Amino acid sequence: MDFTKRINDRHEYAKAWKARTGGKVLGYFEETFPEEIAYAAGILPVRILAEAKPDCLSDKWIYGACFPAKAMINQFLQGEYDYLDGLVNVEGCQWIFNAYEVITNNKPELFKHYLFSPDYTDSKTSKDVFRSELAIFRGLMEQLSGNKVTDEKLDEAIEIYNKNRFLLRRLCELRRADRPKIHGSEFMDLVLLDQVTDKAEMNEFLERFIEEVEDREPGPDRIRLMLIGSETWNSELERMCEKLGADVVIDELDNGTSYFWNTIYPQRDRLMAIALRYLNRPHNPVKDNNWRRRPEQIFELSEDYHVDGAIIAKQIYCHLHGTDNYMVWKLLRERNIPYHYFERDMFVPEEETELRLEAFLNMVRGGITRLAGWHKKAKI
Amino acid sequence: MNHEYGRWPESVWTSQELDWKQAERIIAGVDVGTTSTQAVILRDGKLFGYASIRTGADFAGAGEKALKLAMGEIGMRREDIAAIGGTGFGKRNIGFADRLFDEVSCCMKGARYMFGPEVRTVVDMGGQTVKAIRLFDWDRVRDFMFNDKCATGEGRSLEALCELLHVDITEIGPKSLEAEKDPEPVSTTCWTFANTETLGLFGRPEFKSEKLSEAEIYASHLFAYSWRILGVIGRLSSLEVGEIRIDGGLGLTGGLAKNPGITKRIERDLGVEAMKSDIDPMLCGAIGAALLAC
Repeated sequence: MDFTKRINDRHEYAKAWKARTGGKVLGYFEETFPEEIAYAAGILPVRILAEAKPDCLSDKWIYGACFPAKAMINQFLQGEYDYLDGLVNVEGCQWIFNAYEVITNNKPELFKHYLFSPDYTDSKTSKDVFRSELAIFRGLMEQLSGNKVTDEKLDEAIEIYNKNRFLLRRLCELRRADRPKIHGSEFMDLVLLDQVTDKAEMNEFLERFIEEVEDREPGPDRIRLMLIGSETWNSELERMCEKLGADVVIDELDNGTSYFWNTIYPQRDRLMAIALRYLNRPHNPVKDNNWRRRPEQIFELSEDYHVDGAIIAKQIYCHLHGTDNYMVWKLLRERNIPYHYFERDMFVPEEETELRLEAFLNMVRGGITRLAGWHKKAKI
Repeated sequence: MNHEYGRWPESVWTSQELDWKQAERIIAGVDVGTTSTQAVILRDGKLFGYASIRTGADFAGAGEKALKLAMGEIGMRREDIAAIGGTGFGKRNIGFADRLFDEVSCCMKGARYMFGPEVRTVVDMGGQTVKAIRLFDWDRVRDFMFNDKCATGEGRSLEALCELLHVDITEIGPKSLEAEKDPEPVSTTCWTFANTETLGLFGRPEFKSEKLSEAEIYASHLFAYSWRILGVIGRLSSLEVGEIRIDGGLGLTGGLAKNPGITKRIERDLGVEAMKSDIDPMLCGAIGAALLAC
């Protein structure tokens, strides 16, 4: 299945969905966006995926920002997202907020909303604050769509989204195997596709796809890696690892596993149930103030998925991950998990990155008895 | 009139004392880097010949040429070499290599050969990359870091500066050490800005609180280099709060290791003296490739 093509065709998909259903399409940036509420209003939420394209427009508006923020502005100014009816930003990364501001200033016709979400996710008041923000947001979604967001509609949406998370977790479990039947690149593409597709359709597809994957032969025995760091919008890095004899078996990226990891626990107050799900997401650098529990969470994932090493890929100018780096490095070093750190932008420079990955994988191989003799067979 | 100030001297040497025909085993290593290419011949583990030349765009040709020069004009043929290891940015172009190795492993192995078992941290300062490597056991890499964007601290940028200033690349380091005290460094991020800033110090000294001497301007520039390189070492060093500390002996390799203006400042700021070797530090990768190939 060519997921890359389907991701590239996402604009056509959204336009066709709109023509077919007559519904509205809403863009969002952050994984903390409560999609269920928009979906319950009959709106299709689509994540804005940054794409590297020739860009002479964004510098004028936002010089020196991270490349994904600039790429998103460029895509909007080039008209790629003209089919969107609205754009929502949830409190999070400052660069993305700036991109949101630039885009909405340039596209005044878009419905826009800035949704506050507490950075101190488990303070005494955070859940009540976020719930009240969600109540406002529900009203806005009703206005935008013209549809009432009833408890029944919310229940339906929650069920569809929870099922989607369950299916992705099930696929993720298959990566825990010694010889996974699904590789890191394919999985990352799938998760990205999930973020731009109607979840009901995606669930049907995922059910069929999981059956297909389960029937596959186990993959080759490879070095097992974890991918840590800033968000990515493609699977280039995972593909490069596979080419060099390794496999990314787990990640902790905000638009990777963190997108679907936890579910909504139903309760009578639907908005509170949704609020708690988003506040209790896996920790990321921006929503982990004070406690800094992300490094420990990374370690637990690395243990669960039996990783041999970790790659930390940070988007250049991503100050959030830049600040977290030190704590992540320290913990990985203390727990004897080999890692390699590098900075990237929208592109993964092939020669330079391959050179580093090769060296890193050889370093990791040296410490793995499971793969003893592997390096002798491999042609570097 | 056509003096190229940034052009470091190429070198070729083949032993006149040892007879290669009496050797039990001859091995070779070729390191095709972005800026320079080295080839070494080891005769029963001893350095027998080497060549260090500029790479250019023809990676395959540079590797061939360097190996040919290292073999000297003593009748040695490629078939006489038991194993050839290849490494470097252009390693995939070394068609005649028996095996290819990554640069970090080669640096580790080459540094062990050059500095012995005491070396625990190697800093390879090349044309377009700076790598800091922590070693353990005899031939294992514990950890390594590369420089990331942008490019101050790389050999290629120093070549460009020397061309701009018309100062010989072999002289800028010693001259910089004549300064009594290092002034503030120029830009530690972008090498174009660093070079422009250095030119500016020559051109408009009145904008500085006091006029800097020539030596101080060079010191300011090379201080930026060592600052940036220390940043890479710092990421590799102990992650405890406080100063940058490194484990065990420090080995400096690569073209910039020949520049005392950089190495002395690194030593000063780390508070350690780098280990000494009689072997040209640019040969480290090629030696490592040869040793790994055998």
